[in-house]
Amino acid sequence: MRNKLTKNLNQLLLAIGTIILALLVGAVIISFSGNSPIEAYLSMFNGAFGSKQRFMEVLVKMIPLVIMALGTSVAFKANLWNIGADGQFIMGSIFAIFVTIYSGLPPIIGIPVSIIAAMIGGGLWAGLAGWIKVKFNANEVITTLMLNYIAVYFLSFLVYGPMMDPGGSKMPQTKLIPDAFRLPLFESGNRLHIGIFISLIIVVIMIFFWKSTLGFKIALLGQGEKVTTYSGVSVKKMIVFTMIISGLLSGIAGWTEIYGVQYRLLEGITSGYGSMAIVIALMGGLNPVGILISGFFFSALLVGGATMQRMTDIPFSIVDIVQGLIIIFIIARTAINFKEIKNRIVRRMEHVK
Amino acid sequence: MEELRSKNCAVEMYKIIKEFNDVKANDNVDFFVKNGSIHGLLGENGAGKTTLMNVLYGLYHPEQGEICIKGKKCEIPSPTKAISLGIGMVHQHFMLARPFTIVENVMLGRKSRKGFLLDTKETAEELVALANKYKMKIDPYAKIWQLSVGEQQRVEILTALYQGAEILILDEPTAVLTPQEVDGLFETLREMKNDGKAIILITHKLEEILSIVDEVTVLRDGVMIGHVEVDCNTTKSSLTKMMVGRDVLFNFDKSLVEAGAKKLVIKDLKVLNDKNFLALDGFSLDINEGEILGLAGVDGNGQKELCEALTGIRHVESGEVKLDNINIENKPPLFAIEKGIAHIPEDRHITGLALGWSLKKNLIIKTFKANSKFGLIDEKKIEDRWEKAKIAYQIKANSGDDWARDLSGGNQQKVILARELENNPAILIANQPTRGLDIGATEYVRQKILDAKSEGTSVLLVSADLEEILQLSDRIAVIYDGKLMGILPSGSDVKEIGELMMGKKMEVEHDA
Ligand SMILES: Nc1ncnc2c1ncn2[C@@H]1O[C@H](COP(=O)(O)OP(=O)(O)OP(=O)(O)O)[C@@H](O)[C@H]1O
Ligand SMILES: [Mg+2]
Repeated sequence: MRNKLTKNLNQLLLAIGTIILALLVGAVIISFSGNSPIEAYLSMFNGAFGSKQRFMEVLVKMIPLVIMALGTSVAFKANLWNIGADGQFIMGSIFAIFVTIYSGLPPIIGIPVSIIAAMIGGGLWAGLAGWIKVKFNANEVITTLMLNYIAVYFLSFLVYGPMMDPGGSKMPQTKLIPDAFRLPLFESGNRLHIGIFISLIIVVIMIFFWKSTLGFKIALLGQGEKVTTYSGVSVKKMIVFTMIISGLLSGIAGWTEIYGVQYRLLEGITSGYGSMAIVIALMGGLNPVGILISGFFFSALLVGGATMQRMTDIPFSIVDIVQGLIIIFIIARTAINFKEIKNRIVRRMEHVK
Repeated sequence: MEELRSKNCAVEMYKIIKEFNDVKANDNVDFFVKNGSIHGLLGENGAGKTTLMNVLYGLYHPEQGEICIKGKKCEIPSPTKAISLGIGMVHQHFMLARPFTIVENVMLGRKSRKGFLLDTKETAEELVALANKYKMKIDPYAKIWQLSVGEQQRVEILTALYQGAEILILDEPTAVLTPQEVDGLFETLREMKNDGKAIILITHKLEEILSIVDEVTVLRDGVMIGHVEVDCNTTKSSLTKMMVGRDVLFNFDKSLVEAGAKKLVIKDLKVLNDKNFLALDGFSLDINEGEILGLAGVDGNGQKELCEALTGIRHVESGEVKLDNINIENKPPLFAIEKGIAHIPEDRHITGLALGWSLKKNLIIKTFKANSKFGLIDEKKIEDRWEKAKIAYQIKANSGDDWARDLSGGNQQKVILARELENNPAILIANQPTRGLDIGATEYVRQKILDAKSEGTSVLLVSADLEEILQLSDRIAVIYDGKLMGILPSGSDVKEIGELMMGKKMEVEHDA
């Protein structure tokens, strides 16, 4: 038990260390660009936590990011590199809004049905990549990426074409969903909606999910296909299943964004959430609570960065740089950690023993 | 200890301490190897042999200790440094780049003498010369993946020699070799010894110590227990006593069983191996109720594929397998598990264990459903299971939360056994169950297999170790090149079995 605690603590310290390092290197880059890093970071911090309004905005961003990162983590845990969370988010949103706009169901039934539709949309999209992997042995990194493009273009087609708002704004977006379908806000004039509870509930569900037999099987797949088969678990079924669950969560993330924030489909709705979800998942050690924490951090970075750009001359791309640096450090952490390398070599050598 | 310190020593290690978490894998170990000698390193599983050698090879940094090579004090922070000091290490397996040829593997990471051009031809010639000198046969242009395990090992030794090794560490080299290959290896080692090289040999087989080793050091629980010269007074039992602290008696109460009903019937089985060649070519065999059927054979003659076909892991091209008259070929692995077919796989690391998982979770990878409540894994139940298994199988580990990969080889095997022998399986398929185990553990595992039999389990015991086959089997079948060569009664002549193993055909008694 103590062992587990220290392991988690180590993970946390490592994550904090990674962030500090990324901020430091980011500072050097900012000063090269002729700006003051202190000013940049201060205005970033201020931008995220300077007022209640801003803090709530951080939470707004956190809702879809955390859910998507949880979805991504499911696939990663099984050693499936689903990098198509964006596409799954989009398909989930499309499915959901489709039933809401065209079915004419009353909210009481329509809202649950729209969530289910979002899950189906996201799940199918990721499950498709899983099925292609099982059937044709195509690498899921490539297929999920390709499916991202298809989803993005499909969305454009819809919002410029058949689903474009007939209201006459001529913007690439659908019409608004009725008020009764929107997620309630905490207070008017503020965008924070009750989706925050949904994301917290999903975090709790995921904690239990990893203790369940299904979670057990998914994590076992991550340990290798041979030992999975040996244990009587079908690798093929699990690959498809894992992808579906992974995509389904991104679908829900799309749903919260549509029904809580945008109230309509529009072009570019994911705005790069998918890649951020990957970083959040990795940084959180693929563990639900870790993902919640790192999701909070990255949301603050996003909101703070946006404010910083508005308030100062420092461009938002600083945020991208810091995010990129963190990815590099996370990858480097395993690569540069010599002890880890050595252990790995030793393990490989001891292969048969 | 001072008197041991002499100019004649190739390796001197003083007071080495190496800790993992709170466990001292090496506790104040002194270790000396003379020039021009073969030095055995003995100890039970988890005694710290591999750890000590990894320290010498620069893979681990000891918490304390001093190392002298050829009389000179050295720091060895990395394998590169170790190699430059003339230390070579042959680990058990697979450090070679498989798509490349032998000579390309040797050239990897070395500067060519021809600048931008590769000096392949020169290197190949040097390699062949070196190989001939040490009585090894190789084709420098053969690709690694085409080689048998024994040949790959030869390449590793050759690579070490080519890098100028004067001190060669061999970690359980014989565990994966056929008896013929072992003879060949030993000839090579003697040649190297005559050349003045120092060789450190880790093995669990005491006959090997007696036949080739000059001196032996024994470790127990990370502590150096003793250091003796091997002479005519050294016996297996004296070594065992040092190692285990008690006598180990390989006297099993083997009560032969009367031929019972047929439990498992294998008929005309054809199965492909990973390279899509026929690994089993019309293989037939019956296993009776409550017997141990020993399947003898040189490694790589289809044993692994047979075990996998019987457990549903491998596809059967044609033929059938019947368990209690029900066809089980090409059923999913779960079917075999539910029918009570337990399987100790040959490949412990990739197939038998989830290496990045805790030990207690590894105990339930096949029975996670039964170990759950309302769909959630029952933590308390698996903790209990772990505590029981740990005691029953004397598994050496800090806690059930340890990763499987951090256990020593023998203890990993015990975890697999604990899992597979739970719930009295109907059939136990044991592929090389004692490979890499120390004698105490080997005795223990063999006893467990006999116990399982007396509980009514039918056992298919696959082993390249004839001693093991003879000790345990009620009947002995021999496999060669994917075919059954014959079935012999228990107590048959070793020579006769050996001949069948080499492919000499005898009259197969069909449906005997
Ligand atoms: N990387 C590691 N992390 C944690 N513990 C380890 C590690 N490597 C070894 N140990 C522990 O150190 C002890 C000694 O292990 P070692 O591998 O040296 O044993 P060994 O004598 O080679 O055994 P075997 O004959 O089974 O190979 C064992 O208890 C093992 O669990
Ligand atoms: Mg070892």
